[in-house]
Parts: sequence; structure tokens; C-alpha cells
Amino acid sequence: MSPSDRPRYQLACALVAAGIILYIPANVVPVMTMTVVGQVEPLTVLGGVQELYDSGLAPMAGIVFLASIVVPFCKLAALSWLLLMQGSTAWQRQRAAVRRIVHLVGCWSMVDVFLLSVLAAVGQLGVLASVRAEPGALFFAAVLVCTLFASESYKPRMIWQTKESLPT
Amino acid sequence: MSASRAIEPASRWISCPECEASCREVPLPPRAILRCKRCGVVVRKSARPTSLQPAWALATAGLFLVVLANVNPILTFDVVGNTQPNLIVTGVVELARQGYWPVAALVFFAGIAGPALYLAAVWYVVSACCLTRRWPQLPRVLKAAEILESWNLVPVYALATVVAVVKLEMLGTVAWQHGALWLVALSLCAFLTGQLFDHRMVEERLEKLT
Repeated sequence: MSPSDRPRYQLACALVAAGIILYIPANVVPVMTMTVVGQVEPLTVLGGVQELYDSGLAPMAGIVFLASIVVPFCKLAALSWLLLMQGSTAWQRQRAAVRRIVHLVGCWSMVDVFLLSVLAAVGQLGVLASVRAEPGALFFAAVLVCTLFASESYKPRMIWQTKESLPT
Repeated sequence: MSASRAIEPASRWISCPECEASCREVPLPPRAILRCKRCGVVVRKSARPTSLQPAWALATAGLFLVVLANVNPILTFDVVGNTQPNLIVTGVVELARQGYWPVAALVFFAGIAGPALYLAAVWYVVSACCLTRRWPQLPRVLKAAEILESWNLVPVYALATVVAVVKLEMLGTVAWQHGALWLVALSLCAFLTGQLFDHRMVEERLEKLT
């Protein structure tokens, strides 16, 4: 790797590591509580998908499941693979393609944060129906910000910077 | 120096936008594409003088739609006679009020400020190209547009709104308002602007300008 890109690489590594650690609480801690006429219901990200599926909205549940669980997981896995393969000459074209896909699909994981924002706007109706954000939302948002900045700081040119290609 | 230029008058080396390999630039016939030999990415497309105009039109429309989508309520929610209109910013304010200001900031930046700034940056740069004006700070604004591209998340917001409506229908009555139409139009405009805004082409035009 060229010396000028070393800090970028280290930043990307740190962000991916942070993202992997935060991914666990993001999926375990409830993201929001919905109160409907006195019934309090805390929901995790997966719980929200389950609720959509149970009310007969399978396609909607599929979209949310893909966007907020599969995409962040795949993004973290793909980024760690790219970072671990740094400097190797194997599969360079495939790695470039994976990076492009991560960059393209990554933004759809924001669906759950926006969903929370639209639902929280309803929270102003008081006792009848309210939606409150819970600490899980912070973890979830943190995972997204980590992966977004990690894929931003890992430049495609770094895939092609190997020991052979650089004069030392 | 002058001898080599005489042999190859129209050929020079340019770096691939992805992998930064040196590619030899050759004059392109119409509709031809120059690909990088190492990573296969498109390095140069043959461009007509009018090929930036669709992006210009869409960015201009997008800037108006940003205002319309943010000023008009997107949906109204009704529980036993209590009606409440919802704007994009209502959710941001409510999240901040509940103490989750980092999430509120993220929604504000990705849902309102990001797309608006992105469209403004694209509009500024593309207008300068189309009108052949040397406006100040063009390279910096182009760089900003490149960074803001991944924060152009209005289509994601539109999808989230649809999912939210489905959830809210379990709690009360939801009615779409005309803000939703502006939101759909804005997400189409923002998406197409992102597709049609060719970073390399603009860079090349700006080089000729200055």
C-alpha cells in the first residue's frame, strides 16, 4: 500500500471493527416501543420485521428484513474481507466488483432509521398511540454511520496497490 | 518533447477513476467507450456537447421539489378524531425531543440536508458547464458533490414512509397528503440526477473552461 493511503486503511479497519461490535447490541436492544391504547410493546429490529410478517405483509417484511438486517451484515462481512485481502493479488477484479456493490446497496440500510423517524412523528398523539425511540436506535444508527464512513474511506485504488505494483 | 507530440498528436495518459492505472487516451468515435485494461471500469465516454443537459434539467427540478416536499405534509394520522399532519422534519424534531439527537441529526442530514446540498452542488457545477461560465470554487463544489452522492437518500426515505404507513394503519387512520407526491417526484429526480451526473465528463469540461 502506498504510505499516503495507510491512514485511510487504518481508519477503515477501525470503523469496521467498531461496526461489528455495535452490530450485536443494535440487534438485541429494542429500537422503539409502540404504545397502542395502553398496550406497551418494545420492538427490536427483528421484532419489527416479525410484526409486519404476522400481520400478513410478507413482501413488506421481506424488504425491511433485507434492508435492515441482511444489508448491514453483508456490508460488514464484505468490508472485512476486502480489508483482510489488502495487498494480495488474488481476485482483484472480483474484489473491485464487491466494493462497487457494497457502495451501491449500502445506503438502503438507512430504511429502519427513517422508518423510526416517521413513526416517532406520530408520538405526539399522546396517550392513544405513541411511538418512542429506545437505546437500540442509537446502536443501530452508529453501525450505519460506521459502515458508511468505512466504505467511503476505503478507496478502490487500494485493491490494486500490491507489493509488486509499488516501487519501494 | 515536441517530437513525441508530433508523432502522437491526440494521445495522452489519463488515470483510471477506480484503480488509478494509467490508460492511454485515444480520440473516441461517437458512442465509443474507453475501458480500463486492468479493472474494466469505463474511463472515458464519447460526449456530445448536449450530454449534460438532462442532469441540469433534473437538478433544477429537484431543487424546487426539495422545497415542496419539505413544506407540504406527507401524511396525516388520525386516532379517534385527533388528527396530526406529518412533515419530514416532524420526525426529526420528535426524535430530538425524546433525547435521541444523534439519530435525529442522522435523519436530518440524510433525509433533508444531504439531498438538498447534493442537488445544489450538482446544479452549480453543471450550470457552469452548460453556460460555460467560470464561477468561483468549481473544483471544490465538484468534490463536495462527489462526497455527498452517498448521502442522497431520498428514495430510501420514500420507501421507509410506505413501510411506516403500513404499520400505522394498524393503529389508526392514515391518509396520504399531496406532500407524498412531491416526495415521490423528488426521489425520482434525485435518483436520476445521480445516474446522469457524469463526474468524469464534468471534470473534463471544467478543465477546458479554466
